[in-house]
Amino acid sequence: MTMVSAEQRPRPKRRWWRREGVQGYLYISPWLLGFLMFGVAPLIAAFMTSLAKANVFRTIRFVGTDNYEKILTDDPVFSTIAGNMLIYVIGSTVISIALGLGLALLLFKDFRGNHVFRTLIYVPSLLVGIATAYLFKQVFRGGEVGLANMFLSLFGTEPVNWLGDSEKPWLALVALILVNVWFAGGTMLIFLAGLKGIPASYFEAARVDGAGPWQMFRKVTLPLLSPVIVFNTVMALIGHIQVFETPLAFANSGGVATGNPLGYENSLGTFVTYLYVKGFVYQDMGYASALAFIMFAATLVLTGLVLWLARRFTAYGDADQN
Amino acid sequence: MQDVLDKPRRGDAPSAVAAEPPVTVRRRRNPRVRWELTARITALSLFCLLLLFPFVWLVSQSLKDTNQYFAVPFEWIPSPFRWENFTDVIFKYEFLHYIGNSLWLAVYAVVVNILSSSFVAYGFSRFRFPGRNALFMVVLATMMLPGQVMTISLYRFYRDIGWIDTFYPLLVPKLFGAAFEIFLFRQFFLSLPREVDEAARIDGCGTLRTWWHIILPQSKPVIIVVAVFTFLGSWRELFGPLIYLTGEENRTLPLGLLYFTSPFGSSLPMLMAAIVISLIPPIVLYALGQKYIDKGVAIAEIK
Repeated sequence: MTMVSAEQRPRPKRRWWRREGVQGYLYISPWLLGFLMFGVAPLIAAFMTSLAKANVFRTIRFVGTDNYEKILTDDPVFSTIAGNMLIYVIGSTVISIALGLGLALLLFKDFRGNHVFRTLIYVPSLLVGIATAYLFKQVFRGGEVGLANMFLSLFGTEPVNWLGDSEKPWLALVALILVNVWFAGGTMLIFLAGLKGIPASYFEAARVDGAGPWQMFRKVTLPLLSPVIVFNTVMALIGHIQVFETPLAFANSGGVATGNPLGYENSLGTFVTYLYVKGFVYQDMGYASALAFIMFAATLVLTGLVLWLARRFTAYGDADQN
Repeated sequence: MQDVLDKPRRGDAPSAVAAEPPVTVRRRRNPRVRWELTARITALSLFCLLLLFPFVWLVSQSLKDTNQYFAVPFEWIPSPFRWENFTDVIFKYEFLHYIGNSLWLAVYAVVVNILSSSFVAYGFSRFRFPGRNALFMVVLATMMLPGQVMTISLYRFYRDIGWIDTFYPLLVPKLFGAAFEIFLFRQFFLSLPREVDEAARIDGCGTLRTWWHIILPQSKPVIIVVAVFTFLGSWRELFGPLIYLTGEENRTLPLGLLYFTSPFGSSLPMLMAAIVISLIPPIVLYALGQKYIDKGVAIAEIK
């Protein structure tokens, strides 16, 4: 048996599908197929749709860039939402990054109970979704029953009508941003992994040179951690731009059909909730597709901005070290 | 000295313990360091207390009746306990049915995703072919695409082929692998020694059998991480089911929560009980896979 195979081996007559390259394509073919069917094709279709007016009766009329023009210049709801998103995304990203980094620095030391703290901080970030959205809706309930108001009353503050104040509709947005305090655990864990990847000798060398804690953070930790900070910031941005469950739950008063799903005076409207309302409640697919592309463009612009800032920041750090 | 300090770090990054001992000795003697540690633990304790409060509040509220729920001052320990909230939610409010739907969808997603994503990742990590790296960059880039862009045209396509209010729109795309999971598997496969594959190949083992009998059995840590993340992702998914599943019969747990209305008057305690129920599986799953998940985040970070 072995002799036969040894004799056969030198013969280069391998079947075409046994070639390494072909096999590689065969193995990745499920993804490639899925990418074409569920990625590229719908993307092209969505772009075509965004240039058309399609309604419930499925009559499609080509309207060029009308949808985009209307959204950007003549849609007061979208203007409100764009403002909401700017505040929400910046506020939430700052919370995710600053809190995540702060907690990671606190945990970056070996002491008893470290593990317990890490678990307690990380687990809530796994629970994000409609369930926690409804929980926080109750937490930010107006009157004395809500937990947030109970907490504030410890400091003698009057109960705040977080989600339904007609004079201060922005309070709802503040509540929406504050919820992210509970979900900083995900970024914390990645920061912690990044911190552990910094060789101990760097800290030791800085210590020997007499660096204080602040200098150590500023000159050693921050520059060496900057790739992780950039990664986390981009991920946080993308996640926050696509926020959906919490604003929907906050705006919704039992059943989606009742009330304005964008909140009081649209104060809780986000890109995705607006897209959902336009596309699937009003069935204006062309408009919703254009919204989706504008959201995508906003994501790209913000990501590009972060990467650009990161490059400048890193260059500055290098110059500083010399 | 620094080399000695350095080495254990590289080997097993997760434990900073190995490199610490000399510092520990100094720490005991230095009151400033001890003070710093106390400050650290105090800050963390306060923050964890803040984190935990809503969840304790949730459990407390889920065991009350409506009068107790709105009582001022607030009762942290309800008296009496209303355990019926939980049985009512499960049986009278159809949550048993929603949980069943969510559970089988999640288990399906876990099984299929592990198979398809590891299959694709095997192709990316063990074969050389033209355009491999470019295609892998495309895999990573798809993670940046907001899913909603595609959802709209997919919805119209599914409507045309009669898949609305069926589970197919949720089931079929999973057969083709998911970007993040492919990425996790590939990173892990690259770290596995190729010698074992080579040995198998020389013994006449085909690539398909190598994937199944050689690669997958070595990949328990990453399989667990992918299983937990996939389960959690499926368990909490709202946007897809909200759009594709229109009938009450097909509602998943998140949809059940979203449309939670009571046939029997005000029912916030019931809603709280339903929330508790939906949070238990993720917590249990995390507890089971915890050891591996911390490392999984480290894998993801290599990128």
